[in-house]
Amino acid sequence: MKIRRFPGSEPPYFHYGERSAVFFPGCREHTASKDMSEVRHMKDVQGCIFNIQFYSVHDGPGIRTVVFLKGCPLRCAWCSNPESQNVFPEPGYNESKCLHCHRCLAACPAGALSPAEDGSIIRDAHLCDPRKCSADGNFPCAKACPGKAMFSYGRFVRVEEVMQEVEKDGAIYSRSGGGITLSGGEALMQPEFSAALLATARSRGVHTAMETSACAPENVMREICSLLDYLIVDIKLADDAGHVAWTGVHNGRILANIAMARREFPSLPIKVRTPLIPGVNDTEENIVNTVRIIRDFHNVEYELLPYHALGEQKYTYLGREYGMGDVLADYDKVKALQHMVDEMLGQ
Amino acid sequence: MSCCTCYTPQEEVLQALKEGRDNPNKAAHHRLFTIAERFVGKTPYIDIERGILFTRSMKETEGQPLVLRWAKALRYIAENITVYVDDDQLIVGRCGTDKCRYGILYPELDGDFFAKVLSDVASRPDLAWRISEEEIEQVSREISPYWEGKTLHEDIVRVLPPEVKRLTYNDEAGRNPRFIAMESGTQRGGTTWCLDYDKVLNLGMEGIRKMAEEKLAALDPNNPVHQEEKRPFYEAVIITADALVHWARRHAVLARQKAAEEKDPVRRAELLQIAEHCEWVPEHPARTFREAMQSQWLAQAFSRFEHRTGGLITNGRMDQYLYPFYCRDKAAGILTDEDVMELLDCLWVNIGQFIDISITPVASAMQGGYAAWETVCIGGQDRMGHDATNELTYLILQSRKESPLVHPDLAVRIHPRTPERFLHEVAETIKIGQGFPKLTNDEEIVSHFMSRGASRADSLDYTHSGCTEIRIPNLDMNTTPPVHLNLAAVMELTLFNGHLLKYKDELLTLETGDPASFTTWEEFFSAFRTQLTYCLKSTFRIQYHMHKLRGKHFASPLASSLHDLCMKYGVDLQTSEHIPGSVDSCFFDCFGYATTVDSLSAVKKQVYEEKSISMPLLLEALRANFQGYEAVRQILMSSPTYGNNDPYADAIGLDIDTLAQTFCIEHEKELGYDMGLRMVTVTGNISHGTDVSALPNGRLAFTPVSDGSSASHGVETKGPTGILFSNHYTKNFGLSHYASRLLNIKLSPSCVKGEKGTRDLMSLIRTWCDLRLWHVQFNIINRETLINAQNNPDEYRNLIVRVAGYSAYFTDLSKAIQNDIISRTELSM
Repeated sequence: MKIRRFPGSEPPYFHYGERSAVFFPGCREHTASKDMSEVRHMKDVQGCIFNIQFYSVHDGPGIRTVVFLKGCPLRCAWCSNPESQNVFPEPGYNESKCLHCHRCLAACPAGALSPAEDGSIIRDAHLCDPRKCSADGNFPCAKACPGKAMFSYGRFVRVEEVMQEVEKDGAIYSRSGGGITLSGGEALMQPEFSAALLATARSRGVHTAMETSACAPENVMREICSLLDYLIVDIKLADDAGHVAWTGVHNGRILANIAMARREFPSLPIKVRTPLIPGVNDTEENIVNTVRIIRDFHNVEYELLPYHALGEQKYTYLGREYGMGDVLADYDKVKALQHMVDEMLGQ
Repeated sequence: MSCCTCYTPQEEVLQALKEGRDNPNKAAHHRLFTIAERFVGKTPYIDIERGILFTRSMKETEGQPLVLRWAKALRYIAENITVYVDDDQLIVGRCGTDKCRYGILYPELDGDFFAKVLSDVASRPDLAWRISEEEIEQVSREISPYWEGKTLHEDIVRVLPPEVKRLTYNDEAGRNPRFIAMESGTQRGGTTWCLDYDKVLNLGMEGIRKMAEEKLAALDPNNPVHQEEKRPFYEAVIITADALVHWARRHAVLARQKAAEEKDPVRRAELLQIAEHCEWVPEHPARTFREAMQSQWLAQAFSRFEHRTGGLITNGRMDQYLYPFYCRDKAAGILTDEDVMELLDCLWVNIGQFIDISITPVASAMQGGYAAWETVCIGGQDRMGHDATNELTYLILQSRKESPLVHPDLAVRIHPRTPERFLHEVAETIKIGQGFPKLTNDEEIVSHFMSRGASRADSLDYTHSGCTEIRIPNLDMNTTPPVHLNLAAVMELTLFNGHLLKYKDELLTLETGDPASFTTWEEFFSAFRTQLTYCLKSTFRIQYHMHKLRGKHFASPLASSLHDLCMKYGVDLQTSEHIPGSVDSCFFDCFGYATTVDSLSAVKKQVYEEKSISMPLLLEALRANFQGYEAVRQILMSSPTYGNNDPYADAIGLDIDTLAQTFCIEHEKELGYDMGLRMVTVTGNISHGTDVSALPNGRLAFTPVSDGSSASHGVETKGPTGILFSNHYTKNFGLSHYASRLLNIKLSPSCVKGEKGTRDLMSLIRTWCDLRLWHVQFNIINRETLINAQNNPDEYRNLIVRVAGYSAYFTDLSKAIQNDIISRTELSM
C-alpha cells in the first residue's frame, strides 16, 4: 500500500479576500422578506460548476438535484472529485473514447498536445494553461474532438440557467421532500454564487441543502447557513495535525464553523459525516474523538462513509496521479466502527 | 452506512440457495414449492390433444354457423380431453399434460406452419419444447392437412394488395415477416382479454345458460337476423356453458376416484373437497371463498381451449371479485389468511405451468422467453371512485412477493389516493428486484377511457390485461391485434428515398426525394412526414383486412357469454361490426420510437443547424454502417436525445406522436372503430432491428431498435426523472388517440436501499402518477447486470453506480474498480 501525502501539485487554492463580504443581510428569517429586485439581480450571478446530477438520493432529504461547484481549499489524498479542486475550468481527456483522429493536435494553440506511440494524446502540463487558453472553459481541443474524449471540466453558468435545470425535476421535489443540494468542490469557495443560487431556489420554493467541508471564513459560513434547510458537513479528522497532514488545512476553522452553525441556526438539521479512509482516519481513537465533538449537539446526525475509489479514473483524465494507490475499504472495520458509533450516540 | 451497494432480497434468496440453504419462504409456502419443483427450469411440453380434438370437431361441423361450430368443438374437447388432478393441488384444472410446464396447439391460427416448424422446436437453442416423433407425425396426419388453406394467416396473405404486403411479409406465402408494418393478427385469436369473473362466481354458468334461454325465447321467429345470426349465438352460449360444467364435473369424478385410492386421510379429505367443489362450481354461484377460487380458475383455464389470446385471458381484479367471499368466510370463521395464501399458491402454480406457445417465426421473434401474461390486477379504485384496497389486496401482494415463480404477472393500479401503507408495500415488493409489480395509472387510464366514451364508473372498474393493456370487460368489443409500425424503418425509408438498404433496389414505399437535395430541416422532416403517413396508411389497410377477416375465422362463445353487450345483442365478441355502447381500445404499435426521435434530432442538429456533417457524408457513413466513419458517428451521437427531459429532442417526439394521433382521428371512422398509437414492443424491438440498417443516432445496422417508450440504450444521463418527463412531454394528451406506452426504469439497489430508499421509490411512483404516464415497471439492477455491463460496456453506458455524495458511470471506471463494485454487491447487508 502506497499512500502519498499532498498529492496536488498546487498549494491549496484560497479565493477569499474582499469577495467574502456579507452578501445578504440577516439570517434565514430575513430571506423571505427580501426585496424582489435583489432576487432578480441574483439570477445573473455567475459561477463555475462542473456537473448537475439529477435523482440524487444520498445528498439530503428526498430526491434531489446536486449542483457541483468548482474549487476546494482542501487537498485530500482520497478526493473522489479531483476535477473539482481548481476553481477554474480545466480540460480532461478520456482515452477510452479517443478515436485517435488527432484533430485536437492542430487545434491546441499552445502546442501542448502530442501523439503517443499508440495514437493516444499526451498533454504537456507545462504548456497547457487552462486559464490562459480559455477562462470560460471553451477549450479548442474539446471543440475539435468528435468523440468527446477531450472535454472541459467546468463551465460558467448564471444562477437562472442552473435554476432552469434544477426546476425541471420540481414535481419530484414536492413528492419526495427533495430539492437542490450544493456540492463540489467546496460551494463556500464561490460564496456570492452559492448564496445567490440558494436564495433564488428558496424564493422559488425549492428546498435547499449543501454538502461542505465548512472550511471557509465564519461570515461566509454564516450567510450560507442562513439560506439552508439542511446541512451536510464532513469532519475528516478530529486531530488537527493529522488533518493538516492529510487535507492541507487546519481543522480549527471547520470545527468552529460547525459549532457556530449549530449555535446560531438551532432549527437547521445537520448531518456530520466522516469518510473512513483506510490507514488515515479509520481508527477507534479518531472516531471516538469525532463523536465527542458532536455528541452534545442537538439536531445532529452522524454517519460513517466507507472509502471508495470511484474518482480514480478522473485523475487519469486530468493527467494526475491518484494518491491512494490500490487501497480498498475494510467493510468489517466499517461495521465495527459504525456499531461503536451507534452505541456512543444511542442511535 | 448508506454507501455500500446492497443486495436485493432476490439476490439474498439466490445466495441462500447457492449455499444449500432453503428458500426462506419455503416453510410458509410448502405446497407451492413442492409443486413448483416439478416444473421450474425444465423444458416444457407441447400437448397436441386440444389441437387434435378441436380439428376433429371442426371437420364434423363444416357449413354450420361458426359460433356454433366453436361451441361444439369446445363441447367435444370438454368431453374427451384428458383431465388431471395434480398431487398436492387444491385447485384443479389444466389444459394439457401434467408432466411439466406445457403449451397447447391452436391449428386454426397457425396450423399451416405446423408441418414445417414442429420438428424444429425441440432443437431450438433458446426456447426448446418437448414433443415426440409420434406426436409430430400425428399432427401432420390429422391436423395440418385439414387447416391447409383455411387459416386466417393464409386468408390475409391472399387479400393483401402487393404494395401493402411487401411491408408485412418477406415472401409470397407470407411465412417470413418483414418488420416495416408487420401484422400480428395471425398469431392470436385476439389482443388481450379478461372474462367477467363476477358473473362466473355470482351467477354461475347456470345463470348464463338461463339468460341465453330467455334470449332465445324472446327471438322474433319471423326475423331472419334473429333466426340466422342470434339463434345460433345463444345456442352456442348454452352449449359452451354446459361444456364448461361438464369439464368441471369430470374433475370431480377423477378426484373421487383418487380419493378412493388415497391412503393418506388428509389428502383424501382434500380430494373429496375438490370433488365437492367441482360438482358445484362453476355451474352454480360459488358459496365459499374456496369455491370461488376453483370456479374462477376453471373458467379461466377453459378459456384457453377457446383461443390463444395474446397476453392470455387474465385474472382481472381478483382482490375485488373475491373480496365478498373472503369477508363472508372470515366472518363465518371458516377461512384464515393462511388458507387464503395456500389457495393463492395453488392458483399460481396452475398458472405458472401453462405457457403461451410461440412457434411461428413471427410469434417467437416477438415474445422472448416462455412468455405468459396472466396478470392479476390489484388495488385502484372502485366504481364510485374511492380507493379499493382491501385485506385481500395485501394478501395477494404478499403472496406474490414470497413466490419464486415468474407467473402470474402482478399489476397494481395506482391513483392519487392510493394509501401510503399499500404504496409502501408495493415499493418494498418492487425492491425485491424481480421486476414486479408493474404499475398502471388510474389518473391516465380512467380519463382516457372516458374520452373514448365510457362512463366514469365503468372506466374506474378497468382491469389490467396482458402486458400493459387495459380492458373494461363488459364494454370493450374490439380485440383485433395491432399492426407493428417500425418507425426506425420509416426513418431509413426517408434517408434512402423509399428504400431500405437491406432490400436494395426494391422500392418499398414511395419516393420522397434524395435527402442530399434538401436544403432545410423542414424539407427533410416533410419527407419523413410523407413516409410516415404512407406507412400509417398501409398499417390501417392491413388493420382493415385483419379486422374484417377475423370474424370469419374465429368465434368466442365463452368470452361472449360473459359479456353484457354480446349477450344483449346476440353477437360474438369477434364480430367486425361496431356494437352500440361499446368502447374500442384498439391500437397499432410503434417500434423504435426513441431510435427515430434521436435519429431525427441528430439530422436536425448536425446536418442542418451545426452543419458539422453534410447529408452526402451522412448517407455515405450509413451505407458503410459507420465502418471508417467513427468520427461521424461520434459527432452524431453527441446530439440531444430522448429520455433526458431535453426539450430539443422531446419536441421531435411530440411531433411524431401528434402526427400519428392526428392520422388516427382523421381515418379511424373509415376503419370503423377508434384507433390509437401504442408503444409496447415486448422483445420485438430486437427483430424489428433486423431489417433496419445504420441510423443517424449512431445505431449500427440490424441491431435492436429502442423498446417501448424507453430511451435508446446508453443515452440516458439524467436519471429516472429524465425518462419520466420525456415521456410526459412527448405525449399529446389532448388528442386522446393513444394506448399504452411501456416504460422500463432501471434503478440500482443502493438507490432504493433502506427505508429512505423505499420512501424515495414511493415518491417516484407518486410523481409518475402525477405525470399521467400509463405504465411503469422497475428493474433494480443487480450484480449479474454489473458483470454483463463489464463485458458489454456499449450496452450499459448509462448504468450509474451510486454511493454517498458521488456517482459514476460504471463503464467509465477501470476494470479494477468495476471488480471492486461487483464484489461490493456481494456484501450482505
